Amino acid sequence: MRGILFSFLLTIVCVKGIAQNNYACDLIAKDLLPYASVVVRNEEVNIEIKDLDNVIYHIKKVVTVLNKNGDTKAGLSIYYDKITSVKTIKGFVYDEFGKSIQKIAEKDFDDYAVSDGFSLFNDDRVKVYKKAINQYPYTIEFEYELKAKQSLHFPSWQPNDETGLAVEKSAYSFTCPVGYNLRYKEFNIPSKMAMSASKDGRLKIYKWQVEHIKALKNEPFTPIKNTAEIKLMLAPEKFVYETFSGSFTNWQQFGKWMYDDLIKDREAVPTETANYIKQITDGITDPKLKAQKIYEYMQHKTHYISVQVGIGGYRPFLASDVDKDGYGDCKALVNYTKSLFNVVGIESYYCVVHAGRGEKIGMVDDFASIQGNHIILCLPFKNDTTWLECTNQKMPFGFLGDFTDDRTVLACTPEGGKLLHTPKYTADNNLEKRKANFVISATGELTGDMETVFKGTDYEDREGLIAEAQADRIKEVHRYYPINNLEIEKLDYKQDKSIKPTTTEYIKLSAHEYAAVTDGKLYFAINSVNRTNALRQMQNRINPVYINRGYTEEDEITYTLPKGYRLDSEPLNKTINKNFGSFTVIMTLNGDKLTYKRKFQLKDGTYSKETYDEMVDFYQTVNDADLYNVALVKN
Amino acid sequence: MKKYFLFLSLFLATTKVFAQDFPYGNVDNDALAMTKYAKDTSAHAVYINEHGKSRIARYDDYGIRLYYEYHAKIKFFDTKEFENKGTIEIPIYSSDGTVYEEAKNIKGITYYIDDNGLTQAAELDPKKIVTVKDSKHWSTVKFAMPALRKGCVIEYSYETISPYLYLFQSWHFQDNIPKINSEYEVHIPGLWTYNVVLNGFLKLTKNKAEVEKDCFSFGSAKVDCSNIVYGINDVPAFVEEDYMTSPKNYKSAIRFELKEEVNLNTGSKTQYTKTWKDIDYELKTNEYIGKELKRSSFLKERIAPIIANKTDSLAKANAIYEFIKKNFKWNNNYGYSSIDGIKKALDTHSGSAGDINLTLVAALNAGGIPTEAVLLSTRENGFINKLYPNIGSFNYVVAKANIGGKSYLLDATDPLLPFGILPIRCLNDQGRAFSLDKPSYWIDMNTQQRESVTYVFDLTLQNDGKLTGTYTRFSGGYSAYLRRQKIKKFNSLDEYVEKFGEELNKTKITKYEIANLDTLEKPLGETYTIEIKEYDDMKNHGRFSFNPYLFNHITTNPFKLNERDFPVDWGMPSMDRCVLTVHLPSQFVLENPPQTVAYGLPNNGGRFFTNFEQGDNQFTFSYGLQFNKSIYSPEEYGYLKELYNKIILTEKNELIFKRK
Repeated sequence: MRGILFSFLLTIVCVKGIAQNNYACDLIAKDLLPYASVVVRNEEVNIEIKDLDNVIYHIKKVVTVLNKNGDTKAGLSIYYDKITSVKTIKGFVYDEFGKSIQKIAEKDFDDYAVSDGFSLFNDDRVKVYKKAINQYPYTIEFEYELKAKQSLHFPSWQPNDETGLAVEKSAYSFTCPVGYNLRYKEFNIPSKMAMSASKDGRLKIYKWQVEHIKALKNEPFTPIKNTAEIKLMLAPEKFVYETFSGSFTNWQQFGKWMYDDLIKDREAVPTETANYIKQITDGITDPKLKAQKIYEYMQHKTHYISVQVGIGGYRPFLASDVDKDGYGDCKALVNYTKSLFNVVGIESYYCVVHAGRGEKIGMVDDFASIQGNHIILCLPFKNDTTWLECTNQKMPFGFLGDFTDDRTVLACTPEGGKLLHTPKYTADNNLEKRKANFVISATGELTGDMETVFKGTDYEDREGLIAEAQADRIKEVHRYYPINNLEIEKLDYKQDKSIKPTTTEYIKLSAHEYAAVTDGKLYFAINSVNRTNALRQMQNRINPVYINRGYTEEDEITYTLPKGYRLDSEPLNKTINKNFGSFTVIMTLNGDKLTYKRKFQLKDGTYSKETYDEMVDFYQTVNDADLYNVALVKN
Repeated sequence: MKKYFLFLSLFLATTKVFAQDFPYGNVDNDALAMTKYAKDTSAHAVYINEHGKSRIARYDDYGIRLYYEYHAKIKFFDTKEFENKGTIEIPIYSSDGTVYEEAKNIKGITYYIDDNGLTQAAELDPKKIVTVKDSKHWSTVKFAMPALRKGCVIEYSYETISPYLYLFQSWHFQDNIPKINSEYEVHIPGLWTYNVVLNGFLKLTKNKAEVEKDCFSFGSAKVDCSNIVYGINDVPAFVEEDYMTSPKNYKSAIRFELKEEVNLNTGSKTQYTKTWKDIDYELKTNEYIGKELKRSSFLKERIAPIIANKTDSLAKANAIYEFIKKNFKWNNNYGYSSIDGIKKALDTHSGSAGDINLTLVAALNAGGIPTEAVLLSTRENGFINKLYPNIGSFNYVVAKANIGGKSYLLDATDPLLPFGILPIRCLNDQGRAFSLDKPSYWIDMNTQQRESVTYVFDLTLQNDGKLTGTYTRFSGGYSAYLRRQKIKKFNSLDEYVEKFGEELNKTKITKYEIANLDTLEKPLGETYTIEIKEYDDMKNHGRFSFNPYLFNHITTNPFKLNERDFPVDWGMPSMDRCVLTVHLPSQFVLENPPQTVAYGLPNNGGRFFTNFEQGDNQFTFSYGLQFNKSIYSPEEYGYLKELYNKIILTEKNELIFKRK
C-alpha cells in the first residue's frame, strides 16, 4: 500500500512539474544560443535572515545543458562546511522536449571533502550530482536549502561569471527583519533593485533580477572579472560567526574588529625566541636592517602549510604554535613575523589582500566586507613603507612580486582598518635583458654564451628552475630556449636579493647542425632565444582589451659567421609603436659579424576592444620577425 | 613485457639471521651532518632508512587482521621536498562504515640543528593529527612534521590494521627521491599463501626467509609462519620521461596476491589463483560477467527491429553497435563486470565500461555475430602481470566481434567511436579474449589502428601578396575520432570554424564544408576556402621567401634527453601527409627547386620524405611523416631523436619566388 501511495504522489509531482513550467529547449531565445554550452533558464536565490546565527539560503536553479562542455558548467555541486548544513535537495531532469525523465534526490549526490590543493586540512565539503544523462540537450531543475550559522559573509551574486553560460532569468533576493541593516554594492547590474515588504510588515525584501544575458566567449586580455561583469556584493552591519559577533559599516570598523578579536591576543612568543631575536638584532640600529634580519630568520625557520577550519579561516594560529611547529598558513606566518617585530619594537600591519598573478584585484574601497584571500605584512617606515610576503622562504626582503603587487589592501591596525596600496612594478621595471655572443661554423654548429638579467616581477621567472639541482636545471632550461640540439656546457644563476632584486642567468652552449648547410647556402633562425607567439585572431569580440602587467624584453645577439658568405635574404628591420606596446628589430651585417637587436614592450592598461585587432597584427609582425630565417649564400 | 615482472620463489631457511626494524628515536648525527647525497647529488632529500612489516595475526577471539607497521627516516638537503615528504598522508578504507581499516600509534620526531648550533628533537604533537573523510569509502589520516628546516632529519612511524586480507600491503621500493635502504618484512601463517611479484628493473639486495614454528594458533592447532624479508640498498630516484606509459610499469615494487586460504573453521582450502581453465570457468559462472553475457532473450527482442532488414553480418554488427552506443551514457567508470546487471543498465541508459561493453557482447551474440569479451588493463593501470593466470591486472572490457574471418575490437562507451576503433586508453599490452564456449587466449592490443591525417593545399599567389585557395584536411582512423570529439564540443559548425580559424595565423576562412561528420566509418573531410596574408608589400620587392610547411612547421625536437631508460609509447602508429600546390602569377618564377629528401628509421620503423614537381607557373611540394610502430624501445630512441633533427633541418629550407 505504501509503495502504491508513494508512486501516486510521485506521478502528481511530475505532472505538476510539467504543467507549471515548460522547459522545452526550443523555447530558448535563438540569440542566447551562440557560444553557450549551458543556459540558465531560471535561477532564484533567496537569503533569509532568521537570526544572526540562523541564515537560510533557498536556492532554485533550472539549467539546460546544450553540449558536453556544459556538464561541468551546470553547477550541480553544493558546497557546505562545518557551520553550513544542507537541507532538502530535490529536483527533476527533463529531456529536450521538457518532459520529465528522472527525479533527483539527495541520494543522487556523492559527498566529498573539497581539496583546495594546498591545505593540509579544511572543513569544506561538496555534494556532487552523479547521474548521467545520455542525450543533449537536457534540462535539470533542482532546489535545495542551506542553513548557515553565521551572518558575517554572504556569497556574491554573479549570474554570468563563466564563459559559455547564457541566462534567461536569474534573481537574487534578501529577506530580513525591517530593523536589519543590509549593505550592498552593485556592479554593472542592468536593472534596478526592487524593495518590498512582507504582508505583516515585519520583513523587508530586496530583490535583484537580470534577464536575457548572452554567453561570453573566452577572450584573451579580458578585463578583471571582479568588476567588469554583473555582480552584487552583500555585507551585514551586525553579524555572528561561531562565538564571535560584531558590527561594522566601513573598513575602519571592520579592520578594528579583525585586529581586536582575531589578531591582538595571538602574538605572544616564547621568551627563548624573544631573547634570540634580541640577540641577533643587537647592535643593528637601522630598523629596516633589523627587520630584514628578523624576516630572514622567519624564512629560515618556517614553511607554508594551510589549515582552514571555521573561524580559523579568518584567524591566525598562535604565534607560539608557529614558533614550535615551524609551519603555518599566510595568516599564521604574518602574525608570527609581526610578533617577532613586536619583540624589538618595530611596528607592522597585518594586511588582507586579494592575491593572484593573472589579475590585480583590490579591496573594493567603498564597501567593507569579507574580501581577499591572502595576508601580507606591511612595515610602515616613514617615507619608506616596506612590504613582506611571509609564506615564501626565498623571497627577497621587501619584494612582493606579481602575486600581490599594485592593489588596494586592508591593513588591520590597533586604530582600525586602513586601505593601503602595494607598490607597482612598471613596464620599464619588469625587464628581461639578454646579451649573447654566438659563433656559427661552416658546418652549421652554433657555439657561444649568453647572459640574461631579470628584474622587477621578472625576477621570479627562473625561481622554480633555480630550486632544482643542477642536472635538472640543465634539463629544464631547454624549455626556454627552442634551440635544436642544444647542449648546455655551463649554466649558472646569481641572485641579488635586495629590495629591487635581480636574477642573472649565464649559459655557455653549443648546438650541432643549428644552421642548415645545403649547396652553398646556409640557413639559420635568427632568434632561438626569445620568441613570442602569435595572438589568435578573434571575431565578434565583446570585451575591451585589458593588459594586466607591462614588461620589457631586450635582446642583443652577435653572430660570428663562417668566412665567405653574403646575405641572400632581405635584412630584418622593423619598428612598430602602438599605445599598448612597441617592437623594434634591427639586423646588421658587418663583415662576418651579424648583429641582431630586438626590443619588445607591452604596456599595462585598458584599451578599446578595437585595439584587439591591432594587437593581433602587432603580435603577428613580432612572431614573423622572431621566426625570421637568415639565408646566406657563398660568395 | 615480461622483463618488468619477476616471479619470486621462496627458499625457506631456518637460520636466525633475521631483519629487524631500525631503532626509533635515535639522533643520527651522521645524517644531520650530511650536506648532499653522494650517490645522487641532485637529490633534494633521501630516505636514510625505511622499514615496513606486515603480518597476519589474531585481532580478537573472532577476527584475523593484517597488521602493517611503517617506519621511515628522511633527510632533507633543502626545502623542496617539505611539501611532499614532510606531510604524511595515510589512506584508510572502509567498505561499509562498520568494517574498516585503522591507523594507530602514529609518532614522529624532527631532528635539527638550532640557531645556536645545538641538536634538537621536536616531537609530533598527537593533537595535530587530523582525519579527513574524503568520500564514502575513503578517509585520510594526515599530519605535518614539526620544525622542518633545511638540513633536518625526520623520523616517523605508524601502524595500520586492516580486515581486508586479500589487500596485502604492496611495498614501493622506488620513489621520486632516492633511498639508502628500504626493507619490507612479511610474516604469513601457513594458512595463507600469496603470489609475490617483483616489479621494475632493480634487483633485491636482500631476500631471506625463515620458518617460525607454531606462530599462529586456531582452535587447538598451531601453524608455522613464513617470515620473509625483501630489501634493496641504494634505490635510485625514479625519473619520469615524456611519452611513456604508466610509471607504475617501471617503478620497483613488490606486490602480493592471495593465492590460497585455509578456512579456520572447516579446514577447507580456497584457491584464489589458478589455471586459465579455472578462471574461464569462474568468469562463465560469475554472476556479474558470464551470467550477464547469457542474457540474450531480452536483447534479442530489443535488437530484432534494428537488424530486421539486414542480411549481411557486418551490417548487422554495425547496427547493433550503433544501437548500444546510442542507448548508453558512459558514467566514466571502468570495470569488466556489470554489478547491477546489463538489463537495468540498458533501461537506465547509464553504466560503466563493464555494463556497456558486456551488453554489447551479449547483444552481438544475440544478433548471431560470434563475439568475445576482451578483458584488458588500460594504459594508466599499467601492464598485465602474466607470470601466473590471474585477473587482478584487468580493469576494462571491450568486445571482439568475429565476422567473415576478420575480427573487430569495439568499445561502445563513446558514440563518436567508429566501428573497429578503440579509445587510446585501451591500447595497452595484451587483452584476454573470453567467450562462453571456448578457452580464453591473449590478443595484442597495440597494433589495431593508426592515426592518419592528410593535408591538401591548393593556393594561388595573388598580386596583392595574398595566398588564396583551399585547404583540405582529411582525418582518418583515430585522428577522425579525435577531430569529431573536438568539433562536437561546439554548438554549431559555425562556432567550431570560428574557433579553428582564430588559431590559424594570418589566415581568414571565407567558406567551409565538413564532410562525413556523422558518417563515422569514413574519413572526416574539412575543406576551407582560405586567404593567407603572406606578404604585405609585393610591389617593391623582387624576391620572396616561402616556407612550404604551412600550419605544421616543426621547429623544436620533442625529444630532448640524450638517452632514455623507458620506451617511447605513442599507443598507435601514425601517418601525416601534406600535398601543397602553389600557382604563381605569370611574372614570377621559383628560383630554387628544393632538394627532395627521404630519411628512415631502422627496420622500417618510420620515415620522413619530401617530393617536388615543377609545372608551368606552378609547383607541387609534398611531404610525409610516418611512424609504423606504437612503441619504440630505448635503443631506438637515438634514431627517433635524429629523425626529428633531420626534419627540423629540412624544414628550415625555404623556397624563393623571384620576379622574372
